[in-house]
Amino acid sequence: MKIVSIFFAILLVSFNLNSKKIFNAKSHKLENGLTLIVVENPRAPVVAQMIWYDFGSSVEEIGKSGLAHFIEHLMFKGTKKFPKNYYSNFISKIGGSENAFTSYDYTAYYQVFPSQHLEKIIELEADRMQNLTLTKKNVEIEREVILEERFQRIESNPSSQLDESMRSVLYPNNYYGRPIIGWKHEIEKLNYDDVFNFYKNFYKPNNAVLVLSGDVNFSKAKEIVDKYYGNIKSSDTLKRKVVSDPDFKTTTFVELKNENVKQQVWKRIYRTKSFTKSIEESMALDLGMKILAGGSSSVLYEELVDEKKIFSMVGGFYQGLSKGDGYIYFYAIPNKEMDEKEIGDLIDKEVKKNIESKITPEKLELEKQKYYFDSIYGMDGILKPAEIIGEALSVGLKLNEIEKWNNKLKKINIDMVKKELNEFSKNNNYVTGSLRN
Amino acid sequence: MKLVFLLFFFFFQSSEALDFKKLKTKSGIEFWFVQDNSIPIISLSFSFRGGSSLELQDQHGLANLMVSLMDEGTRNLNSQEFKKLMKLNGMKLSFSSQKDRIDGVFQVISSQADQGFELFKEALNYPKFSEDEIKKVKNQISSSIKIDQSNIPTIASNKFNEYFFGDHIFKRNIKGTIKSLEKFKRQDISNFHEKSFQKENLVIGVAGDITDKKIKILIESVFGKLQDKFTIPEIELFSNLSIGQQVYKMKTPQTSVLFGHPGLKRNNEDFFALRIANYILGGGGFQSRLYKNIREKKGLVYSVYSYLLPFENDGVIVGGFQTRNKSVYETINAVKKNWKSMNTRGVSKEELNNAKAYFNGSFTRNFTSTSSIAALLKIVQYYKLGENYFQNREKIINNIDHEMVNSVASKYFKTENLFFMIVGEPEEK
Repeated sequence: MKIVSIFFAILLVSFNLNSKKIFNAKSHKLENGLTLIVVENPRAPVVAQMIWYDFGSSVEEIGKSGLAHFIEHLMFKGTKKFPKNYYSNFISKIGGSENAFTSYDYTAYYQVFPSQHLEKIIELEADRMQNLTLTKKNVEIEREVILEERFQRIESNPSSQLDESMRSVLYPNNYYGRPIIGWKHEIEKLNYDDVFNFYKNFYKPNNAVLVLSGDVNFSKAKEIVDKYYGNIKSSDTLKRKVVSDPDFKTTTFVELKNENVKQQVWKRIYRTKSFTKSIEESMALDLGMKILAGGSSSVLYEELVDEKKIFSMVGGFYQGLSKGDGYIYFYAIPNKEMDEKEIGDLIDKEVKKNIESKITPEKLELEKQKYYFDSIYGMDGILKPAEIIGEALSVGLKLNEIEKWNNKLKKINIDMVKKELNEFSKNNNYVTGSLRN
Repeated sequence: MKLVFLLFFFFFQSSEALDFKKLKTKSGIEFWFVQDNSIPIISLSFSFRGGSSLELQDQHGLANLMVSLMDEGTRNLNSQEFKKLMKLNGMKLSFSSQKDRIDGVFQVISSQADQGFELFKEALNYPKFSEDEIKKVKNQISSSIKIDQSNIPTIASNKFNEYFFGDHIFKRNIKGTIKSLEKFKRQDISNFHEKSFQKENLVIGVAGDITDKKIKILIESVFGKLQDKFTIPEIELFSNLSIGQQVYKMKTPQTSVLFGHPGLKRNNEDFFALRIANYILGGGGFQSRLYKNIREKKGLVYSVYSYLLPFENDGVIVGGFQTRNKSVYETINAVKKNWKSMNTRGVSKEELNNAKAYFNGSFTRNFTSTSSIAALLKIVQYYKLGENYFQNREKIINNIDHEMVNSVASKYFKTENLFFMIVGEPEEK
């Protein structure tokens, strides 16, 4: 097993990057605007249902941060027909699992359950899109739960506090700068009317994508979904504001000092493009970032951890699945106490130096191969396909674009990657953060 | 229970998932296998009994250091070369050290099976353990130990182990200490490697796109050369678990609490009944009593749970929550109250029926991916639940009646045996 064999192997497997669709998903749009996506995979008698609402904390009015996440919690409180925790109780009784999550651009709910209960689960989800019943007491108690969640995730975690603060600097004008869970002082003031109006105005079929994956038949699913969602009226009360942020003329350094911190950590977040702007460019950037900073075989890791032994860890990644701007996240953990400016300068220098010399066509082929293999791993299971498709559609990509992802991948060449990385190395829209004692 | 029966019937008919084969390689390694050609992936899940329990008194953290070096190069490949070949073949390999075992997962794209298994063989049998990599990985573990020191839940978990297990070896943190790591030499790591990966301590589950014949050859090529040189000492029973509470003060707005209590080994005959009782108490997601009474009714926590944790030697029940400093003791009292009610009043018939339906219905969720099938095949062997477990499981569950679960609940849930580890700044009431 010598290195020479790498190139042979690349030739051997590259033809696999063919034009096949990844998921073979089928789609159907109801008159009221609800999108249904079905990924048939009958290997076990189990279905994953995910409903994706294509809004999250993005649509909260100023001063009411945390609303989208608040209502996500309250969606488990029951309806007139299925009161209290009927839904959760039903899922549990059939051996299913469930949960939900909120992000900037979407809110999603999911269940994994034995396929014979498909119709009932579809009915229950459709029912809570329109018939949620809430008491003031539900809201009062849940506010306490959410504050505990905020304390658990952020207030008692120095690293999360730093991230929250860095994002608020990076996006001075955009909702991405506000925490999804909400600022503590604003969560404390959210009341029954705030949450109920948010629900009434935005939980509409035209704002949702329903994904069913697993042991489910498309035409059967279509029939059931039409039956339970068909009568729900669409609404255009959701006004989306597209807001972008200005280019920075200054540099900002954010520091969090905490007596509990024993290990210095350096971070930097850059504002950058997203897949919704250009799939090809974002894919080239993503591949470039993986070569440069992804995992323990990246250019920066090899250089600064393996060779120069300055950091115990260094890395970065690109997150471009968003309606607005995406971001690039970098971090470094020095072996010895270091000045933050020195760390930043060193990484800048290494990035610039290595784009020309170390971002090679061979490395690109390797990353493309991995990308392709990851798309196969994504099909092992039933929840993953629903997650991938739901997230991509929620931020504004098209099903066809997702299915043909590997065709686009094939076209990415080294010049495209270098162009993106050069652009990145000149990007001044960033904020640097430091966590220390 | 008619519904459940129908489900299983359907399952036998429509899926290969339960139809596993017990295979044996040339040198006698037994493993369980499900052929699944629906996706071009092979997934392997394996465990070696022993893990951190094999560390001697002065070897604290050695198991974790050793497994962290397993993907850092082989006799013929340096770390970077090895990682590139892993990527190229769509291969994933990870090891993790636990208190009583080492767990591993290996996956490869089936067209690359030969190359992937070859790399796996090299990594498992001939890891490089180069001085450079040892130094690097020691630095990484040290950083991670320091990062843990500002993470309240992780501190709580370490402190919990330290106090709860009394003088038992399980009191030690898997990662060791910055000081204990320093002194390990290449030879220590290499000896520990040999002691950790012995054939007789191995269990394997495999699922995926490959034939019986081929997988037997590949399993033999990876594991066939392992030796059985060392006798593995038995891990002692827990004779001295702590009770009461311990406070570790830290400046934080929210306190983390972990609790523990004696439990059962996985193959104890009362295990499933206790598991069902615990599901009702604190295990069942949004359905448990702890969740309903402490989160849903009072809003005291975001999450509260309990679960059975069986080990090779013995078992415990553990749980936890985080709450703001002012409500720590109120929440502890609520946990105790619910614990006590399991002992004195037991569970209702409705709760029991719901829990049994959950355990019957949830099993098929394990069959949705090659990795979860492989993991299940391994776990059933690891806990010695028997070849017929897949057929018997439903019967075991259905035989648990109301009287039985209540007698088990009152036998095992003892409020006076609870131990609470409190990390933060709890306000006295």
